Amino acid sequence: MSKILIQNLHKLYNPNKPNAFYALKNINLIVENGEIVILKGVSGSGKSTLLSLIGGLSKPSEGKILVNEQNIAKLPDIMSSAFRHQEIGFIFQSFNLLEGLSVYQNILAPLALTTLSKEAIHENVNRAMQLANIEHKKDQNVGSLSGGERQRCAIARAVVMNPQIILADEPTANLDKENSLMFIEILKKFKLLHKTVIIATHDILFDDLDCIDRCVHMRDGELVE
Amino acid sequence: MPSKNFIEYAILLLFKDRNDHFFSFLIFSFIVFILSSVLFISDSLQYDLIQSIKSHPQIVVENMRAGRAYEMHDGYVYDIMQITGVSNVEGAVDGYYYFAQKRVWFHVIGDAHLAKDEMVIGQGVQKEMAELYYKDVFHFLNEERMIAVKIDKIAPKGTNIISNDAIYLNPNTARAVLGMEMDEYSKLYVTVPNPNEVSEIALKIVQLYPSVKATSQADAIGAVRHLYYYKGGIFMILYVIAMVSFFILLKNQVGLVYGEKKKEIAILRSLGFCIKDIITLKFIQNAVVSISAYLLGVAGAYIYVFMANAPYLRNIFLGSELENSVSLTPVIDLNLLFLIFLFGVIPFLAFVILPAWKIAISDMSEAVKS
Repeated sequence: MSKILIQNLHKLYNPNKPNAFYALKNINLIVENGEIVILKGVSGSGKSTLLSLIGGLSKPSEGKILVNEQNIAKLPDIMSSAFRHQEIGFIFQSFNLLEGLSVYQNILAPLALTTLSKEAIHENVNRAMQLANIEHKKDQNVGSLSGGERQRCAIARAVVMNPQIILADEPTANLDKENSLMFIEILKKFKLLHKTVIIATHDILFDDLDCIDRCVHMRDGELVE
Repeated sequence: MPSKNFIEYAILLLFKDRNDHFFSFLIFSFIVFILSSVLFISDSLQYDLIQSIKSHPQIVVENMRAGRAYEMHDGYVYDIMQITGVSNVEGAVDGYYYFAQKRVWFHVIGDAHLAKDEMVIGQGVQKEMAELYYKDVFHFLNEERMIAVKIDKIAPKGTNIISNDAIYLNPNTARAVLGMEMDEYSKLYVTVPNPNEVSEIALKIVQLYPSVKATSQADAIGAVRHLYYYKGGIFMILYVIAMVSFFILLKNQVGLVYGEKKKEIAILRSLGFCIKDIITLKFIQNAVVSISAYLLGVAGAYIYVFMANAPYLRNIFLGSELENSVSLTPVIDLNLLFLIFLFGVIPFLAFVILPAWKIAISDMSEAVKS
C-alpha cells in the first residue's frame, strides 16, 4: 500500500551561490493510499518541484519522503529509478512523448526495462491503451496526433507498468475543454482502480469534483491551509 | 547484461534517430575503408614479394663499388663455391634497359630456358611496346648495334607483381643488350642448404670480396617488411590525422545532437531508466553504428582491393613507371584489423557515451517540464 509521508521537506536551488533560493520550504504532507489530491497554486509556487521530488526525479536538500515507509530521498540512482519504474506513473503538461515513434512504441518504453515475454508486453500495452482510450491510434506516429490524443498516449504510458502512484503535472493545461473532461473521466477510472493520484494544477475544472479527495494549496514553496 | 526487450528498444530508438547517426556512420566507414585498403594492399604486396624472395636461393651477391653495381666474372663463382656449406652458385644477368621512345626503363632478366632470338615480356612492357607497334619483334639498341628479338610470350597476369616491367631474355642476348661481356654476371645466387649457416657464409663472401653485397633471404625479407612497415610510414601519420579529425567532428556532432536529445534522456529517466540504463542504451546504439560502419569499411576495402584490384591506390604502392594491372593476393592480417577496431571503435564509443552520461546525471526535473 503506497502511503506517501512527506516530512520537513526543503529544496534549495543553486546552493552556495548568490542566486540560491528555496523552491520548497518545510513541506509536511500525508497522502493516503488510493487518495486523489490536488496541489493548487500559481506558477512558481513549487507544485512541480514537489512532484519531481515525490517521483524521485530530483533529490531534496533536506527532509524525508517516505513511500511504503521507505525514504526515497536517500535512495541511490539505481534504486530510485527502479522505484520510479515500478511505483510511479508521470503525466506531464507537455506530454513528453518520444517523437518519431508510434503510440504503441511510446507506451512500450517502460516495458523495455522488463524481461516480460512478447505476449505479456502486448497484453500490458493493450490494457493501458484501453484505459486511456487510445488503442485505435496505436500505429500512428505521435507527431500526427491531436493534443488530447497525445495526452491519452502519455496516460497509457504512465499506467502501462500498473503503478500505484500517478503524478500529473498540469495535465489539462494544453488541452481544450472536451479533452480536459476526457482526462477527468480517466481520473475517475484511477479512483475506481484505487490509485494514489497527485495532480499539480491551477485548472478550475478540478474544483468540486466528486473523485477528488483533497485540495492542498501552495504558495512560495510552502503549503498553506 | 541488458535484456532482449531492452536491446530491441535501443535499436528501435536508433532507427528513429538514424539521420543523427548517419554522418558519423559514413565518415567512420570511409576512414576504416581507406585504412583497411592501405593495409590490405601493403600486406598483399609484401606477401607476394616475400614469396618471390623465398623462391630464390638463400644469398644474393651483388658487386657494388662507390654505390654503383658492377659485373662479376666466373672467378667469383669459383671462389664462392669453395666456401664450406655452399652447395651451388648460379650467375644471373639482370639490369635495366632504357626505352628512350617512351622514356621508361625495362627490367632485363636473363633466363637460360629461352632461345637467343626470343623473349618473354611482362604485361606493362607489352603495352608500352604495342603503342609503338612492336607487336612481334622488338629492336634493342646498344652502343654498337641493333638487336632484334622475337616477342615469344607475354608473362601471365598473376605474376605482374614481379614481371610487369620485365623482359626475360636468353642470358647471352641479355648481356648483349646490357653491354656486358660473355663471362660476366650482374648477380650471383648462392645456395646454402643449412639455414643456420646462411649469415656466416654471407659474411665470408663479404670478407672474400669486400666490395660485394651479400644479401641473405632474411635480410631481403626484412628490407621488404621495412618498406611496407605501416607504423613507421606515412600511412600511420595519415591514420592519426584522419582519426583525430574524425573525433573532433564527432565531438562537435555529438554535442549538437545530445543538446537536442537532453529531453529524450530526461523522458526515459522519468519512466524509470537509471543512469546505467541510459549509458547501456547509448552504448548499444553506438556499438551498432560503429561496428556496422567498421564491418562495412572492411568489407568495402576487401572488395575494392581484392576484387577491383585497388584502382588509383595500387599505383602509389607499386611505384613503377609502367601501368601495372597486378592481381593482389588476398592476405588479411587479423592483428591489424583488430588494431583498427581497437583504435577506432573504442574511442568512438567513449566520445558518444561521455556526453550521454553527463546529461543522464544532471537534474532531470527542468528538462521534463519544458
